[in-house]
Amino acid sequence: MSKPSEDTLTAERPVGASRYDTVRLSHGSGGKLTLELIEELFVATFSNEPLKELTDAAILHNPGGRIAFATDSHTVKPAFFPGGDIGRLAVAGTVNDLAVMGATPLYMSAAFLLEEGYDMDELARVVRSMKVTADEAGVSIVAGDTKVLERGHGDGIFINTTGIGFLPDDVQMGVAFVRPGDKVLVNGTLGDHGIAVMSRREGLDLAVDLTSDVAPLNGLIAAVRAVAPNVRFMRDVTRGGLAAVANEVVHRQAFGLRVFDVAVPVNEIVEEYSEMLGIDPLLAANEGKVMMIVAADEAEAALGAMKAHPFGREAAIIGDIVVKPEGVALVETAYGSRRVLEMPIEEQLPRIC
Amino acid sequence: MPEVRATRDPQAPFEPHTYKDPSLVADLQRRIGELAVEIGRPVKLMHICGTHEHEMGRYALRDLLPASVDVLAGPGCPVCVCDNEYINMAIQLSLRPNTILTSFGDMLAVPGSIPLEGERRGDVRMSLLDARARGGDVRAVYSVFDAKRIAEQNPDKQVVFFSVGFETTVVAVAAMLKRGVPDNLSVIEANYYTPPATRLLPTLDGFDIEGFILPGHAVTITGLRVYEELPALGIACASGGFEPVDVLASVASLLEQVRDGAPTVSNPYQRLVKYDGNERAKAELNEVFELAPIRWRGIAEIPLSGYKLREPYWHASAARRFAGQLDEVALRGAEHPKGCRCAEVTLGQIRPDECGVFGTLCTPDSPYGPCMVSHEGTCRAWYTYGMHKEQLRVETV
Repeated sequence: MSKPSEDTLTAERPVGASRYDTVRLSHGSGGKLTLELIEELFVATFSNEPLKELTDAAILHNPGGRIAFATDSHTVKPAFFPGGDIGRLAVAGTVNDLAVMGATPLYMSAAFLLEEGYDMDELARVVRSMKVTADEAGVSIVAGDTKVLERGHGDGIFINTTGIGFLPDDVQMGVAFVRPGDKVLVNGTLGDHGIAVMSRREGLDLAVDLTSDVAPLNGLIAAVRAVAPNVRFMRDVTRGGLAAVANEVVHRQAFGLRVFDVAVPVNEIVEEYSEMLGIDPLLAANEGKVMMIVAADEAEAALGAMKAHPFGREAAIIGDIVVKPEGVALVETAYGSRRVLEMPIEEQLPRIC
Repeated sequence: MPEVRATRDPQAPFEPHTYKDPSLVADLQRRIGELAVEIGRPVKLMHICGTHEHEMGRYALRDLLPASVDVLAGPGCPVCVCDNEYINMAIQLSLRPNTILTSFGDMLAVPGSIPLEGERRGDVRMSLLDARARGGDVRAVYSVFDAKRIAEQNPDKQVVFFSVGFETTVVAVAAMLKRGVPDNLSVIEANYYTPPATRLLPTLDGFDIEGFILPGHAVTITGLRVYEELPALGIACASGGFEPVDVLASVASLLEQVRDGAPTVSNPYQRLVKYDGNERAKAELNEVFELAPIRWRGIAEIPLSGYKLREPYWHASAARRFAGQLDEVALRGAEHPKGCRCAEVTLGQIRPDECGVFGTLCTPDSPYGPCMVSHEGTCRAWYTYGMHKEQLRVETV
C-alpha cells in the first residue's frame, strides 16, 4: 500500500472525506483504515445515534404494527447518470419496496462492495447522495458494511440496502383485493430512467436532455392513501417496466388488465428515442414510478393526490381491470385494435435496423 | 383516400404523429374495407421486412383489416435468413485466441448448427452466447463504427465484425471500408440483397400472394426500379413505411392494384423513398461490394442475392483472412434443428403457430430457431404480441 500523497494528507477535507484518493484493500480488512473510513465517511455523513454507537448490530425502536422487510442490491452503469446516481437509487429502491406494501420505511442498512482503486471522492458523493435521499424519505441508515474487492474483481461499486418499515395491522392490500372495474394509475411519465441511463452508455452517447425519475415514493404513496383508503394494490415500476408489473398482477387471476395506449404518459424525448432505438416505453425501466390499482370511485381522488405531489405531476389513469380476457395484460391502441402486453424477457436493446 | 402521399417539405420539422393519426388510420381502414368488398374474394399480401412485422404486432394492425385481407410475413428478418455457415464462422472465430468478435445484439442468441454438447433441452445448437460462456470474446455493438473503435483500441488483437443485414446495414459497412479501417479489423460477409428473393418466391409451389409491401428502409437505398420484374409476374408492389398510416396506405395501394388487375410498383412511402433510390449510397455500395450467390437459411442458395467484397477489399474479408484456420466441415452443418419450421415461416408458407415447437419448446427465452430470437423474427413478434392467441375480446363490468 502506498502512502497517501502530501497534498491529501494536509489539505483540509470536508466532512465525510477520507485522506486517501482511492479505495485500498485495507479499507475492507476490518483494521485501522476500515474504522477510519466508517468514522470519517459513513458515520459522519449518515449521522444518526444507532450508527454512532458502532456496535455489531443497531438497536432500534419499534413503533408497533407489523414489520415490512426488504432488500435489494444495486449496480448501474454509469454510476452517475442524468438525474441521479447509484446512491440515490439504492436508497429510493428499498424505500419504494417498503412503501408499496403500505409500510412506513424507517430504518435501512447499507453494504458496500468496492473495487480496489475506486475514487474516494466519488464514493463520498455517492454516500452524500444516499444521505440526502434518506432524509427526503425520512429513513435513517443505521447499519452498514464495507468490503473491498481486488482490482479487476468488481465493477467499481455495488451497494446493497436492506430496509425495515412498519405497517398497521389494518392495512390490507394485494392482488387478492383487485376487482374488475378498478382503475389503473401511474404517477407520471414512463421509461425516463431506462432511456436516460441508456443514453449515457458506451456506444450510444446520445445528447439527450432527459433525467432519470429516481425518487423515494413513500411521501406520495402516503398522500394517496390518505384520500383513497381502498387502494387495492401497488407496486413500484422498475426493471421490466409497466409491462412486467401488469403481467405480475394478472398472472393466474380471473381478470385482465387493460392499458389504453394513448392514456400512458410518455415524455416527448423518451418517445422520440424509443422510436429511434426500437424500444417500448412500457417495457423501459423506471426508478420513481408506482402503479396503483384503485377502486373506481376513489380513482379521481387518488389521481388528484398524486398530481399535487412533486413526484406525481404527470400522473394519469391509464387503464382498468376487465372481466375478460382472464389472466392477460393487454394494450388497446388509439385505433381500437388490441395486443397482448407481454412479459418482458430480456433487457431492452436497440435493434439492427 | 386521404392525402398521405404528400412529399415532405424538407424545411418542415418531422412530425411522426401525422403518420400515427387515428383519423387518418380510420379513413384508410374504411378505404381498405371498401376495396375488399369490391374485390369480393380473399387476398393474401406479404411484407418483406422484420420491422413491418414488429409494427404490425405493436399496433395490432391485423385487427384493423377485413377478414378477407391477410398480410403475411416474408423473408424480411436479417437474423432469420442469415445462413448457419456465417453463425458457425462467427462462433469459431470468437473462440480463436486473441480475437474479438463483434456483432449486433440480435445475432448473439441465434443457434447455428454446431451441436451444443451435454444439453438437456434436446437437439440444441451453439450460439454466440454459448461461445461467450465458453470463453469466447463476444461483444455486442450498435454499429460497425463501434467495431472499428474496438479494433483501434486493441491493435494486438484480431477484431471481426459480424456484418449481418440487408441493404441498409451493408451501406454503413461500405462507407466505413471505403474510408479505411485498421489492419486488424475484418468482416464476416453475411449481407443480403432482397429483390432476387422476392423473385424466387413466386416460383415456389402453392405460392398465392398477390402483392408485396416492399421494405421501406431497404428501398430508400436501392429504389423501386429493381422490383419492376414483379408486376410482370402478376404481383402488385408498394413501398412501405413503418407507421400505422404508412402500412395501411401500402395495403390500400396494393388492393387498388389487385382490384384493377393492374399490378405495378407504387410508392406510398414517397416521403422517404425515391424511385431510383439513393444514388450516392448505391455508388459507394457498388464500389466496395459486388453481388454474388448466397445461401438463405433453410431456403436456398439464391443467385446474386448476397453482397461480397470486391477484390480491392479482400483484405477485410474474415472468410479470406482466416481461410484454412476454420473447421470447414463444422461451418456447413445440418440445417435447422429437428422440428423447427423457420424456413416455412420465413417464406410465409405457414403461420408461426402452425409449427409444432412454437411456444412450447421454442420461446424467446429459449429459442429453438432464428425466427424466435430477433425482435424482427416473425415467431418472436407473434409470441410477444400474442398474435397466436384468439382475438382479444374485452368484457367489462
